[in-house]
Amino acid sequence: MDYAVETISLTKVFSDWWGRAKVYAVDDLNLQIRHNEVFGLLGPNGSGKTTTIKMLLGLLHPTKGHALLLGGDGTDPKINTRIGFLPEESYLYRFLNARETLDFYGRLFGLAPKVRKMRIEALLEMVGLKAVASRPIGTYSKGMARRIGLAQALINDPDLLILDEPTTGLDPIGTRQIKDLILKLAERGKTILLCSHLLADVEDVCDRIAILYGGRVQAEGQVRELLQQNGKRQIVTSAVSETAVERIGRILEEEHAEWEITSPMEKLETFFINTVVEAQQQARPTSGAVSTTQIGDFLMAEKSQASILDKLVSAPVLQDQPAGAPRTESITPVETHAPQPDRDLLSKLTRAATPSETEHVAPVKPSAVDVPESRDTGQVNKSVLDALTGKTAPPTTEKPHERPKDGEVGHE
Amino acid sequence: MSKIWAIAVNTVRQAMRMRIAVIFIAMLLILLPVMGLTATGDGTLKGRLQTFVSYGLSLTSLLLCLLTIIVATYTITSDIEHRQIYTVATKPIRRYQFLLGKLVGVIVLDAALVTLFAGIVYAVVVFLPGFHDVSNDTLRQIDNEFFTARASLSPPAPDVREEVQTLYDQLEKTGQLREAYPTLPPEGILKELTLRKQLEKRAAGVGEGLMWEFEKIRPLDPNQSLFIRFKYDVAAEPTNGQVYARWQIGDLRQFRYGMNFKTPIWPEDRADPVRTFREIEVPAQVIADDGYLAVGFLNVPLNDTTVIFPLEDGLELLYKADTFTANFIRGVLLILFRLIFLACLGVLAASFLSFPVAILFCLMIFFTGTISGFVLESFEFLSASVSEVYSYTIGALVRLLPRFDKYNPTSFLVPGRLIAWSFLAQVALFMVCIKGLLLLVLALIIFSFRELARIIV
Repeated sequence: MDYAVETISLTKVFSDWWGRAKVYAVDDLNLQIRHNEVFGLLGPNGSGKTTTIKMLLGLLHPTKGHALLLGGDGTDPKINTRIGFLPEESYLYRFLNARETLDFYGRLFGLAPKVRKMRIEALLEMVGLKAVASRPIGTYSKGMARRIGLAQALINDPDLLILDEPTTGLDPIGTRQIKDLILKLAERGKTILLCSHLLADVEDVCDRIAILYGGRVQAEGQVRELLQQNGKRQIVTSAVSETAVERIGRILEEEHAEWEITSPMEKLETFFINTVVEAQQQARPTSGAVSTTQIGDFLMAEKSQASILDKLVSAPVLQDQPAGAPRTESITPVETHAPQPDRDLLSKLTRAATPSETEHVAPVKPSAVDVPESRDTGQVNKSVLDALTGKTAPPTTEKPHERPKDGEVGHE
Repeated sequence: MSKIWAIAVNTVRQAMRMRIAVIFIAMLLILLPVMGLTATGDGTLKGRLQTFVSYGLSLTSLLLCLLTIIVATYTITSDIEHRQIYTVATKPIRRYQFLLGKLVGVIVLDAALVTLFAGIVYAVVVFLPGFHDVSNDTLRQIDNEFFTARASLSPPAPDVREEVQTLYDQLEKTGQLREAYPTLPPEGILKELTLRKQLEKRAAGVGEGLMWEFEKIRPLDPNQSLFIRFKYDVAAEPTNGQVYARWQIGDLRQFRYGMNFKTPIWPEDRADPVRTFREIEVPAQVIADDGYLAVGFLNVPLNDTTVIFPLEDGLELLYKADTFTANFIRGVLLILFRLIFLACLGVLAASFLSFPVAILFCLMIFFTGTISGFVLESFEFLSASVSEVYSYTIGALVRLLPRFDKYNPTSFLVPGRLIAWSFLAQVALFMVCIKGLLLLVLALIIFSFRELARIIV
């Protein structure tokens, strides 16, 4: 079978100066990642995750064994054309600004100027750095650097995305956005190799995981299968009366089942986002990356426009069905609530964030702020794509677009 | 190609925005004009110009050499050290394209900077005479001796092998050889005898003459002047320190056949001090149509000593073969070739060494290159005793050294000497095409096979 990523007895031994084997960083690793799969590579620090990725990409030579990416060698430019890679830290040129960075990487892919320009604008919009795109990356916070790092990994619309600790340094909102993005990309037929030790991230998005320890796979399989507690059942109801609870209790006692009743806890992520939404509604100024997160728009807009990206990726795209929600639900069977509320909040947040964006950036560097554009991100995004796909709408039309409704932001 | 260019542009940006290049540029922008005002030389306008050209170009060359070494090594080692290479090498770009891009970037930066600063030096030199109130004679002298590109022709060393061999055999037969040269080996004796015979050919007793013939002289303009530059040595010091001489310059073949003179013969009687360079100015019309010219010297009976023209620099013929501007451009190209070589060297060092080590390695080669004549000589001397081992090990390496001192543009521009295209091509061939390319190929091989990521467990 043809795999997106395959390693055959991949081994990396680090030797000392005399050539004596010192550490087995990766030891006889056999991984198979299928196409269109979100695969999580888990493990504690120093378990060989990053070394594996470096070998996949040809940055390190394996001591033994082979690594195949998309059926080829990770150093072959033809293969590299279809790969996006985000290293464990955003190793970018500090002296370039965000736009120049993306332009540089776009050129390495030999992208035509038009395509390059379109993608750069769309990606900047997507990662919420458009307003600070002309600031050198050296002045970015870690989270902002992470966002631009992610954007460079997507500049070629890769078939296989290798993300090493993608959410480190990001705030919970940014983390949520990246997770949503991963799900959207998977929905579009991409394969994603996610390497992380943040278990919540992996749990939310991965189809399959492998846990590495000491360079060896300790456990591997479907997230659902690995986590599902088959000896337990869970019923979630709306708030029902005490009598109803008693009646259910009696039925359960007849079954001799152990049971308990609690009120479900809100997830901290949800609570956090809620709090930030409230703060933003009070228009508190902030600095840093904008939490606009039209994270999906980069993809969503193109989906409806049959864009160049779509032509590049021939994989079928699910229409109108936000894959994120059911996926998340299905892989967290023991959770006491469905994750939809997050998404509503996120949508609210997305909208609420936009006005504050102009307020917080303006004092930092007034000349760099593009107020009309940032006020209605959806509009700009669309028009860039329009211009590209030959539609007539000029990029800076004065006509005020309506802001997308909750549903259009893309979750329910 | 577009990928190489993308890397190159990024390299130039890095050099400028990381303020490495900026410091050097600022230094030169301040120092060059200041030097233009303060360089005085021997106090004359010519001395001023010569000093400024010499210091200005040397300073430009030195600083740009250092800049090249720093940028070429920094741009690669920093990408590896700060791991930008992770995001670049995983894009569809071959490793050689990455290195070539870096090299092209450094060379583009060098070319731009060398043009800028050479332009400043040139502008100062051209406009400097305008600020000085000097006589027309001085201006004419400067035009003839500084704002010019004079080709130099030296008479070839006379072939004396046969005579030397005869003399050697004769001395050996009569047993005088051991007596005269008790310590020298046979090769040394032959060398000594050759030198003696050659000097004999360049010596004229009282009443005797010497003649040198030159061919293929192509002056830029038939109305210009030629210069015979000479220096006398004498067997016995003349009483007033002067040597009297009669010179005949022109197509002296015309005497031989008794034909009508087509080109004039320039006669000159003069007295010159010994061991001092003097020049005789002759109109270029004396050159025959086929580019032939003969220079005749007569040791007139006014003298009471044999006159000798030292072998190395006793006599040469100078004529304006090109303009100062063209020569200046070629001089700047010499600097650029040097920079390209250093860029290749920097790339090689960075392909396997870390930043500080790579810089030290390059600086060592650079400074050895600037005294390459001395280094070569020392090793030649050493080779006398360990010839076999030497020629296959150190000898081979030493020959790979760049010859920066030999190809120094100021040694041509200061005395207004022509840097011939053929000379330039020779430098390009050896310094850039052979040595530079060799370094680059080595760098590409090392870089293509090395692990770019650091080992972190």
